Amino acid sequence: MNRRTFYMFMSPSLLVMLALMVFPLLTSVWLSTQYMTFRNINEPEFVGLANYLEVFEDLKFWNAFSFTMTFIAIAVPLQIFTGFLIAVLLDQVSKRIRGAYLAAFLMPFIVVPVVGTLMVKQLFESGGIVAWLFREIVGSRFIFTEQTVKGLILVHALWAATPFPLIVFFAGLQTLPHELVEASMIDGATRLRQVRYIMIPHLRSLFVFVGLISIMDAYRVFDSVFVLTEQNPIFKAEVMMLYTFRTAMSVQRLGKANAMSVITVVLILVVLVPFLLRTYKEQTEER
Amino acid sequence: MKRIDNRYALALIYVILTAYAVFSVIPFFWTTIQSFKTPRQANSRVPLFIFEPTTDNYTDLWLKAIPDDPFFVAIVLVAIFGLLALVAINARRFPIARGYVYLVVLAVGFAVLWSIPGYIKTQTFYDYFLNTIIVTAGTICISISIGCLAGYGLARYSGIAGVIILVAALGFRSLPGMSYILPYWWFGQRSGLYDTHILLIVTLVAINQPFTIWMLRSFFMNIPKEIEESAMVDGANRLTAFISVIIPIMWPGIISTALFTLLLAYRDFLLVRILTQSNWTLTVAISKYAAGEDPGHITLAAAAAVSAAVPIIIVVFIFQGQLVKGLTAGAVKG
Repeated sequence: MNRRTFYMFMSPSLLVMLALMVFPLLTSVWLSTQYMTFRNINEPEFVGLANYLEVFEDLKFWNAFSFTMTFIAIAVPLQIFTGFLIAVLLDQVSKRIRGAYLAAFLMPFIVVPVVGTLMVKQLFESGGIVAWLFREIVGSRFIFTEQTVKGLILVHALWAATPFPLIVFFAGLQTLPHELVEASMIDGATRLRQVRYIMIPHLRSLFVFVGLISIMDAYRVFDSVFVLTEQNPIFKAEVMMLYTFRTAMSVQRLGKANAMSVITVVLILVVLVPFLLRTYKEQTEER
Repeated sequence: MKRIDNRYALALIYVILTAYAVFSVIPFFWTTIQSFKTPRQANSRVPLFIFEPTTDNYTDLWLKAIPDDPFFVAIVLVAIFGLLALVAINARRFPIARGYVYLVVLAVGFAVLWSIPGYIKTQTFYDYFLNTIIVTAGTICISISIGCLAGYGLARYSGIAGVIILVAALGFRSLPGMSYILPYWWFGQRSGLYDTHILLIVTLVAINQPFTIWMLRSFFMNIPKEIEESAMVDGANRLTAFISVIIPIMWPGIISTALFTLLLAYRDFLLVRILTQSNWTLTVAISKYAAGEDPGHITLAAAAAVSAAVPIIIVVFIFQGQLVKGLTAGAVKG
């Protein structure tokens, strides 16, 4: 296919992406230098970097930032560890039963995030089954506070996002070369050593791939936090995306919100750039 | 790998797997139970598992008033949709091409869904349901049409520009949506398109485009080049070869991609929340049930959650073969 035909085929899709992804991103940078509320959307006022300075001095932003980072630091390793563990165990089970287990494991992944969050929350509502267990074991009622809502956000993340590493690792294990495993059995390797010296090296590139994607997904978590903090404004349990959203839609400071979203984009480049370089290398080799 | 034959070790494996399966499924199970309780039963001190089920939550959620003859209405609706399903399943037995049969089934189905409010007093929740159908259907049609052209181009072009476009698209897909969705609000306000279906569809097409072109590209790459080349030797230009030779054998791939687009468009929350005031889709509508003061909100929220989950579970159940095909195409990135 020559270049001309390629661009002919590519143009509708490329135009849509340029107009509605690249251009808005640039607009966001421009809006971040404007003072804009719902009142003056037609004649914003240029304020330079004032929005950025305001964001850096905003304690709530730093709270949201530190919660987002804590969230990533706890949720991502837990998801990857659980996903790997379950994938390895599932690999030991006979093929007939695997299907049923996989169907159950995938349900949280398929369901709409908002719905899934509501469902997890149901367990903790008064009269909910986990709230009851909590009362039986701890002795006091389960109430939604900053700490418990943060815990709930983590539980939901573990519930909803673990299936992703799980399927990827499970699929990876199916390509494990048999000879390698058999040779190690003859040499008398224990199960644990097989996991350590055969499975993990075999899945290494998948660990990197899953890790990067999980970090980016945890970084932009929004739906579940929105639903779980809807109860009352528990601002301390906010992640960066939610604080940006509230700054834009509730506080109505659009310029400041755009400054925040520019900052979040710059921060995620730390993970995004290696991810894209890796994909670029893969694709050019494959070509 | 040789399986574990130690009986105790195997038992332990089953215990762990089952425990994790229970963890995965219990919110669905519990929410479904709660949705059939009265607020009093749902708030009881000890969780109730045996109780007299009520469908009040569902009727409150969907209907303003219960029709005079609810059984007749239910039977008519079940009959219509059962008949449509039957026709769709037996599509290959009709003398016309299968595609037309599916089109007719879809058209009749939509017509019935839209005419229901004329006969039964439905709640706004039903309107949100219809909104969801319009937005997802529109998104799928546009996204797949332009995505097929792009995916085909990317699969056949060997220049570096193709790789750059793919990687850049993946990069945009991986960014937090907030960074390009916030400006949409401003565009929407200035152009007067705020709170319209058009704006939702166009923006959903855009944000799902990276995913669509990656997935379609991998399906097109599996189709040997010789097929369209032989058509082009016969004098067809590339576009006609593409439409008349490639597309007909691409249907499985297109259906898989359409399915993933459906799941992505259906689940979107942030975009719809920012771009609508009243023309919500289901995901935004049900988030309103997340909090409430009166004790009835728990059961109503449960019914709303189940109502929004059921269509997706039905779709996934019907098309599970295509979903697996899509996952194994290795295209699911981001």
